[in-house]
Amino acid sequence: MLKIERLDASYGFLQILWGISLHVEEGEFVGLIGPNGAGKTTTLRSIAGLLPPKDGQILFKGQSIGGTPAYKVSRMGVSYVSEALNLFVDMSVRENLLLGAYSVRDKKRQLETLEFVYSLFPRLKERENQLAGTMSGGERKMLAIARGMMSNPQLMLVDEPSLGLAPHLVTDVFQSLQKLQQTGVTILLVEQRVNATLAITNRAYVLEHGRVAMEGPSSELMKNEHIKAAYLGV
Amino acid sequence: MKESTSFTRFIMNKLTRNLPATVVIALSLVLMVVLGAVGGMSQVLNTFVTGGMWALLAVGLALVFGVMNVPHFAHGESFMIGAYVAYWVFNPIYQTLGEHPNAFLEVVAPFIGFLAAAVVGFVVGVLLERIIFAPLRRRTKSGWVMNAFLLTVGVSFVLTNGFTLAIGPNFRGIPRYWNIDTLTILGANVSADRIVAFFLAMITIFALWLFLRQTRTGRAIRAVSQDETGAELVGINLDFVYVLTFGLATATAALAGASLLFMFQAYPTVGGKPLYFAWYVVMLAGLGNVAGAILGGFIVALLQTATQQFFGPSWEDVIPVAVMILVLIAVPSGIFGSEVKGVQEQ
Amino acid sequence: MTENATNEKKNGAGVWGRLTSALGAVGMTPLGVGLLILLAILPLVPPFSQEHMIRWLIMGAFLAAQAIAFDFTAGYINVVNFGFAAILGLGAYTSGILTNTNPSLAIQPGLSPWIGMLAGALVAGIVGFGLGVLTLRLRGIFAAVMAWFVGIGLMGLTRNMVDLTRGPLGMAPRKLFLGTTSNLPYFYVIFGMMVLIYVVLRLVTKSHYGLAFKAIGQNLDAARASGINPTKYRVLNFTLSCVFAGLLGGFYAHYFGSLTPQTLMHTSKTVEVLALAYIGGRGSMWGGMLVAFPFVFGIEYLRSSLTDLPGLHMVLYGVLMIVVMIFYPNGLSGFYYWLKEKIQSKSA
Repeated sequence: MLKIERLDASYGFLQILWGISLHVEEGEFVGLIGPNGAGKTTTLRSIAGLLPPKDGQILFKGQSIGGTPAYKVSRMGVSYVSEALNLFVDMSVRENLLLGAYSVRDKKRQLETLEFVYSLFPRLKERENQLAGTMSGGERKMLAIARGMMSNPQLMLVDEPSLGLAPHLVTDVFQSLQKLQQTGVTILLVEQRVNATLAITNRAYVLEHGRVAMEGPSSELMKNEHIKAAYLGV
Repeated sequence: MKESTSFTRFIMNKLTRNLPATVVIALSLVLMVVLGAVGGMSQVLNTFVTGGMWALLAVGLALVFGVMNVPHFAHGESFMIGAYVAYWVFNPIYQTLGEHPNAFLEVVAPFIGFLAAAVVGFVVGVLLERIIFAPLRRRTKSGWVMNAFLLTVGVSFVLTNGFTLAIGPNFRGIPRYWNIDTLTILGANVSADRIVAFFLAMITIFALWLFLRQTRTGRAIRAVSQDETGAELVGINLDFVYVLTFGLATATAALAGASLLFMFQAYPTVGGKPLYFAWYVVMLAGLGNVAGAILGGFIVALLQTATQQFFGPSWEDVIPVAVMILVLIAVPSGIFGSEVKGVQEQ
Repeated sequence: MTENATNEKKNGAGVWGRLTSALGAVGMTPLGVGLLILLAILPLVPPFSQEHMIRWLIMGAFLAAQAIAFDFTAGYINVVNFGFAAILGLGAYTSGILTNTNPSLAIQPGLSPWIGMLAGALVAGIVGFGLGVLTLRLRGIFAAVMAWFVGIGLMGLTRNMVDLTRGPLGMAPRKLFLGTTSNLPYFYVIFGMMVLIYVVLRLVTKSHYGLAFKAIGQNLDAARASGINPTKYRVLNFTLSCVFAGLLGGFYAHYFGSLTPQTLMHTSKTVEVLALAYIGGRGSMWGGMLVAFPFVFGIEYLRSSLTDLPGLHMVLYGVLMIVVMIFYPNGLSGFYYWLKEKIQSKSA
């Protein structure tokens, strides 16, 4: 479904990604792990169209999307839940969700998805009319993920959902991602919590210094000595 | 214990934040009563008519700033264009009516002028966005607010001088839109033109509000004003929103210019005064605060009418601005506050 | 330009090197001095010695000096003083009133125009100080709008104080040089003022003040964090710029001998200076100065040859400013530095 070939990306003169190649198949749950500053977020931003790649190719369903504006990528079925969340803080939960379905023109389908999302996150239904900016950190994450689902995406890019969350909330968020995968959505998850990520994903890539250092099925990576030493603290 | 202190702090915050607004609104009400007592009902009605127009202009300014982060200095020229278009459309119809009277057309003609002004205004807004802001956006976003501001200054300069060059500095005006006797409201005489101008402003503001609140596109506009990246990520085409917003703002200002043609007339620099009064309003209310701009419009109009009443018309350039400066010294971000993106940018 | 590059190469050696560094201390380059000397003798050489040409040169120097003082604020601390023309008008009116002998005004102090000009500079400086204090807490656009409001207020006040200013009718201050109808002495006065303003402001920006100004202009918070007190520097900057605006206003009053609020203090006058400063290049001060002369000659030529097209020069001017702002924000000075670098890297 998603195929990245030899992707280079930079902010101005500062090159972050050096020839990244990775692929995500339909229905898969893939993790992208690695230390801070390894280029995980940059990879997602490049896919989402927020950062035009310097070189290399990004293919979504066989179509090149490198350098395509973010709104078009979104309309093609790629949904990016950013680290900063980018919620509309002065709007209600419901309005945020409806905006998530901006590219879905069919009113009926919008409302169906809304009901579905509410069934997945009952908390959001309770807070339907609350302003997004007044919610707690965990609720905001849920809202951001839920908003990302509203466009019925085929591929979801989720960036550090556990960041700044209390441990029990992290479990909640991870569980909702698993539920999401079960509904047939392909997910590419960026995380620093290596253990938890490897536990729920099918496959994973390890990014170090802007390069893919390792890749493989999550269960195998979990046993890998390098990973154990560097990330799991075993 | 901790809960209660943070709660009291929250209340205190709310109170102090709203204090300037409370004080200003209370003072305005007092001033309104005094004005009514001294100047009579007609001055109060004047305040409402002028206030409606300043509000309409200020809403456009606030919208453009909130969504595009452009401090729009050429808004007065949109007003000017509206006045010209209304004149050019209405006047020929009016001349023809002199020869072939037609009761229906007599009533409708001004509205044709208004509509034409709004449409032309919208087109001009769209063109300006594409010609001026889109290239700047492509080049750089650093220092955007200041650069955009100076660009609109340039646009204003070009438009006023361009109109002078093309058609000369002379005034083009009409005595009145509707040849109807003045109406008496609560003992004050008001012309039909003024009443229509007031209601047109109110209806336009209300329609704009409904559009922003209730429609998919309106929601997208608000989304862009709150988080551009978030808006892009949900599939909103920013360029489309910018073009639409600028078009709408220009159209509303043009509509204001058209509906006030009987008062202001059309000439190249007619936009100067509406521009700075609209700016008083947005600075008073807080940049980018659309709802505050409506109330602010009436407060500024009140200040203006009161100045005319108590000091004479020639002071209306001095006293309102002095008051505005004092208010801004006390509350630099405006009485309704504003936390718009980009305001903090240097 | 190439000449200058070869000059640069010689920089290191002997008398020339010492001269260059001495000039550098007052913010001049040999090229700059050469141009100034050329300008100084220009009104003595035909065809520039014709009275109307000298008038144009005076206009050029007047605008050039304004552009320097304006850029000192806009290009360094990054605050556009939108009330600049009004402050200049304040200086002009102050001087005009203090030198007045005409019974049509309420008072006739009858001071010498020279003293009047200094008083105008002083009053403008005081208002500039106040404006600096007023806008200190405000950032970029807010400060610009506030200065604009103050300008509108000043203009309104001038229009309303009919006893002192004759309001919109305008007043006629005494000429600086009574015995002559020649423009030449006026040229040397404004030329001197222009050089003085440039050298003084250049000296200020070359000192540690200049660095502080730039730091504040680029990032107020970072500047504050690194121990710069923005209050002091911003107020100082505003005050200095306004002192010179007032001085130039005084010159205007006693050269043209006619003052009206509309022609002197209107926002569009600020925009003219702003456009010059930006086309010349922000933060260079000399860019606006250099552009002013061809600009005045250009518009005067247009005006005299196309009398039926009022405002054409303004339109061209505005369009040029817009194009520069969008596509070439560094203006003329940016182009010059770019070219210099190119030539140097080639010859190296």
